Amino acid sequence: MSSPAHLHAPPSAEPAVMELERLLTMAGQIGDFFAPYPPERAAEGVRNHLRSYWEPRMRAALLAHIEAGGHGLAPQVVAGARLLQDEAAAKKSYYGPPKA
Amino acid sequence: MWSELRRLKADTDYGTPPRDGAPVALEIDGVAVTVPAGSSVLLAATEAGSQVPKLCACDTLEPFGSCRVCLVEIEGKRGYPASCTTPVEAGMVVRTATPRLQALRRGVLELYLSDFPADEIEGGWSEFHQTLEQVGVRSHPYGNAGASHAGAAVDQSNPYFLFDPAKCIVCSRCVRACEEIQGTFALALQGRGFDTQVVAGQNQPFFESDCVSCGACVQSCPSQALVEKSLFDGATDHATATAT
Amino acid sequence: MPLPLQPERSVVTVCAYCGVGCALEAQTRAGRIVRMLPWKEGKSNHGHSCVKGRFAYHYYNDPDRVRTPLIRDSIDEPWREASWDEAIAFAAAGLRGVQQRHGVRAIGAVSSSRCTNEEIYLTQKLARAVFGNNNIDNCARICHSPTQFGLSATIGAGAASQHFDSILQADVILVVGANPTEGHPVFGSLLKRRVRQGATLLVIDPRRTETVSSPHCQATVHLALRPGTNVLVLNSVAHVIVTEGLYREAFVRERCEWPEFERWQALVSDPRYAPEVAGPEAGLDPEAIRTLARRYAAGPNSAIYYGLGVTEHSQGSTGVMCLGNLALACGMLGREGVGVNPLRGQGNVQGGSCLGSWPHVYSGYRFVSDPEVRASFEAGWGVALDPEPGLRLPNMFDAAVGGDFRGMFIMGEDPVQSDPNQNHVIAAMRNMEFVVLQDLYRNETSKYAHVLLPGSSALEKDGTFTNAERRVSRVRQVVPPLAGLQDWEVVVRLMNAMGYATQYRDAGEVLLELASLTPAYSGLSFELLERIGSAQWPVDAKAPEGTEVLHLERFPRANGLGTFMLTGYVPTTERCSERYPLLLTTGRILTQYNAGTQTRRSANSQWHPEDVLEISAADANARGIRDGEQVQVSSRFGSTQLKAVYSQRVNPGVVYTTFHHAESRVNALTSDRSDWATNCPEYKVTAVEVLRVAAPAGVSAASTQASEVLA
Repeated sequence: MSSPAHLHAPPSAEPAVMELERLLTMAGQIGDFFAPYPPERAAEGVRNHLRSYWEPRMRAALLAHIEAGGHGLAPQVVAGARLLQDEAAAKKSYYGPPKA
Repeated sequence: MWSELRRLKADTDYGTPPRDGAPVALEIDGVAVTVPAGSSVLLAATEAGSQVPKLCACDTLEPFGSCRVCLVEIEGKRGYPASCTTPVEAGMVVRTATPRLQALRRGVLELYLSDFPADEIEGGWSEFHQTLEQVGVRSHPYGNAGASHAGAAVDQSNPYFLFDPAKCIVCSRCVRACEEIQGTFALALQGRGFDTQVVAGQNQPFFESDCVSCGACVQSCPSQALVEKSLFDGATDHATATAT
Repeated sequence: MPLPLQPERSVVTVCAYCGVGCALEAQTRAGRIVRMLPWKEGKSNHGHSCVKGRFAYHYYNDPDRVRTPLIRDSIDEPWREASWDEAIAFAAAGLRGVQQRHGVRAIGAVSSSRCTNEEIYLTQKLARAVFGNNNIDNCARICHSPTQFGLSATIGAGAASQHFDSILQADVILVVGANPTEGHPVFGSLLKRRVRQGATLLVIDPRRTETVSSPHCQATVHLALRPGTNVLVLNSVAHVIVTEGLYREAFVRERCEWPEFERWQALVSDPRYAPEVAGPEAGLDPEAIRTLARRYAAGPNSAIYYGLGVTEHSQGSTGVMCLGNLALACGMLGREGVGVNPLRGQGNVQGGSCLGSWPHVYSGYRFVSDPEVRASFEAGWGVALDPEPGLRLPNMFDAAVGGDFRGMFIMGEDPVQSDPNQNHVIAAMRNMEFVVLQDLYRNETSKYAHVLLPGSSALEKDGTFTNAERRVSRVRQVVPPLAGLQDWEVVVRLMNAMGYATQYRDAGEVLLELASLTPAYSGLSFELLERIGSAQWPVDAKAPEGTEVLHLERFPRANGLGTFMLTGYVPTTERCSERYPLLLTTGRILTQYNAGTQTRRSANSQWHPEDVLEISAADANARGIRDGEQVQVSSRFGSTQLKAVYSQRVNPGVVYTTFHHAESRVNALTSDRSDWATNCPEYKVTAVEVLRVAAPAGVSAASTQASEVLA
């Protein structure tokens, strides 16, 4: 499981919506669920979950942490979060619970 | 059991639970009626429009046949069987209101009345009172000298309802409700004959027994021996009251 | 004895307590309710009820009722009375003020599962159309939100697949993490009827509850697993079914995604989930797991009923998916007598779920991030809507502590008592600048509120409730609202005061509007319910009088097929340690209801005047605790005192309590762990220590601590 070391938000972001440690714990849990899936599906599952269920400031804080090194996050979480920035992935227009 | 629950009606008491089964045709008081196999004659009579007086029968409970009020005459059969415990048979011809039956019912109800608090007959509105009205019984010829349950102590241990054994007609509806509907089995009939009484748990006050206070027994009691405390004049709101 | 007095008037309405939603006749005399009589034609209860709905209704005219609106500028000041107009204007100005200072997303709302569908719909509309954000949540967050997530993922619909009567056709009844005899008593009685007729009862629950063993009703198998091992045990059950070839291949090939089945089959076949490995890890006999799996798979009709013992875990959604997977693999869906049935707790929590009282979906479970859906709501409501998901209730508290979330409208909810990790919630409430609470009484949360609006009970309003079997019934007003307004009328006034002009002639008009925007409710109206009494959704053109059993031909997923989710076991991070060697789990009792707001104001408290801690004799003796003694219960998060009671119902290593009394402060103990998908709190697993209050010197009871080192 993740153990975050850096707990302050990057200077350019708006005020943190919640403590980074809590955010990273939640992201880690999502990553744990998708771990048994093949890497592309795991990343897509994480992307879809963050897009459908996470408030935008939470997503922004997570991405900021990834830009700053992404300490303590599993690969599928990093890959999935990065997919949020990918326009092509967003156009799939599916929102909802995880599916094949 | 499917039909037993799903065909109940709020404004009609069929006397015994509706059943599933192949149609059976019979005749009640000259009216042809068809009911599923397994139904009682009492249910068929209700369907046919005949109002058969009853006390221990109720369409949410399995029949018991103890009160001897719902008696009928069935052509070709001897005696006066209880319609609640008699299953229908094809071609039965049933009469529910002959003079002999009226006399029998009157006799039974007068006996019940002889062991009922005299000051709670006039003005009562329970199912028992309605059945008395239906059969035309207002008094009994037995005087007040004999043994009765008039002095029995009222159990007020439960905050919401009380049990007054003086009004209990030992129809066992409460016992059956606790078994069949609620499934707690907190009530039983104890003793024999005149001494038979309804007891909770090991003959304990209701509150100390396994009773979960679901109220099914109160709802099923025809004589209001079990009755909600909130129906009495001057009942206090239990938000501030303690158990009496 | 005097004669009882006959009631004069009778109104058929729905019980205001649990998710069974018993139909009751409220009988009045001279304007006062004198009796609640179960209604024989009620399709969910068939003329039966329990001690709560039948007798515990006196809370409605308890002296504690809030009778006039109350306002104050700061929570350190006393309340002052105000008129409705003044209080509504003050509330509107306060909430808008927070938005001006901290942004549109700085306020949010919570609707109440004790309020009607119409009221819940209006509250989420308040958040979306008037506040301008999606910060709206409901109490299902802390109970059945994993049901929503897990069942939607596997079978497409996050609601019970059957009606209650369906259990009468079941041959095998599997109850997981639920105690129907106490939590859903009328349904529990129906379950017992079926078991007396010969159905097999299987129970997975850490405790030997009354559901496991009661007169003439015994479970054939009881898996008393260690709290926190649900997914491990359910995967082990799946392991048996898959490795012994007990699944229904024809059903899976025809009605499910076969490739996903194979993926799942590979996962659960892993030796790690064999009963001989998983059993001891969960504290179970491997043979018992095998027996349960074989009985369930054999059927012919096997039905699953489950509750918060599945959902309130860090793998809550995963646990629900396990149940969906099992039912699909064994072909136990799509007819009478089978199914996957969450036992929704509150009277109208199903309604809250259906009507979009969520930060991520509108009514009808359609996502706010979906532009097409959003456009239809924008058209219906005449205003632009926020395209992004909002904050969940636990995240609102996180944001109040760590961010700039500063205002709330809370309807009929007491988060300070009901939500976990109480010290964190209180810290969040203290950080708020403006809180509007609408409720029947003052409660723990009102200590932190600036406006207290008088709520109306279910006996005082018109509307509809949706029960745990998707049944929508009419709630009918029996007595007028104590403070003059029904809850939905208050929300409408607040909307107007905040600049959104709207009005409705009556609650029926609200129902028609929400029906037009919620596909599964589209055929509903007061007129239909007057005619047929109640109807299970979907109620639409294809099923104008409702739908009893779901999934008859297809599953409501895009391709009509059910699917299998990979449910790897991830143990919770809430672990026992030397400092906290016991596991605390929680539950409910028959006579009290949830936070006890209503039932503690009735004579029901005579049965349950306090929450007690059930502890095994072995654990008690090891600590020198006598039966009935006061003990200090502590976790990493907080500490409280309870009376300890010896119990044979819990295994050594597990302790249990209820949470009905505010003084018990049970949520001072519960953790900050929650479900990965929904943040549903992990109420059911907390590492604790239990010590005598008069502990010897040198042994100190833990108070609020930062993270402990885990063993």
